[in-house]
Amino acid sequence: MKIQKSHEFFEFSNEMSFSKLKNELINQNSFFDEIFKDSSIKFFLNLKEITDENIPINDGDEIALLPPVTGG
Amino acid sequence: MIKITKEDFNLEEEFKKIHSKKNGAYSFFLGTVRQDINDNIDGIFLECYEDLAYSQLNKIKEDSVKIWNLSDCKIIHRIGDLRISEKIVLVITAAPHRSDCIEACEYIIDTLKANVALWKFHVKGKEKEPVDQKKKDLDKYLSWGQIIS
Repeated sequence: MKIQKSHEFFEFSNEMSFSKLKNELINQNSFFDEIFKDSSIKFFLNLKEITDENIPINDGDEIALLPPVTGG
Repeated sequence: MIKITKEDFNLEEEFKKIHSKKNGAYSFFLGTVRQDINDNIDGIFLECYEDLAYSQLNKIKEDSVKIWNLSDCKIIHRIGDLRISEKIVLVITAAPHRSDCIEACEYIIDTLKANVALWKFHVKGKEKEPVDQKKKDLDKYLSWGQIIS
């Protein structure tokens, strides 16, 4: 599975939470379904790991999808 | 001091920067690019999400200073293209006594390997292959949860 993109901008007209955002993205592209089902991928909102999927997403927020890290 | 850089670093110079009369002990970890017998690679490429990595490394540093009462701590991680034998990562911990800085140094590199936004690729010619996270690295990081919680 390769996204081959460093970033992408999305626009939504409705109020958004991370949970709603997941559904929107899956509707736009089914490969997001694979990403959100992968337990090894971590999700961050503005540099903080998302622990509550109901967290609101606001204009300008940055969400990162991170595969397992391998530094050091 | 936390630094993510493409530039090489000098061990003696980095030691001089952290050296202080109040310290009786320093612990060093230096990671370098390894030539595996089974992996005929030319080198590695390290990718980084720098904003997040700085935030994560600062948190690791703050936790270590607090838990082991360190007087100082330095983490340098290189990114980009690195050839075989080049330096990748340096951790230096400083404390009045050796046991604190040795344990803290091990905690920092174990946590960095499992929990900081850096990704390693094996480079062979023009090909780049992502390196998988090792289960033993994740297990080692998780084992600290029993010690520091």
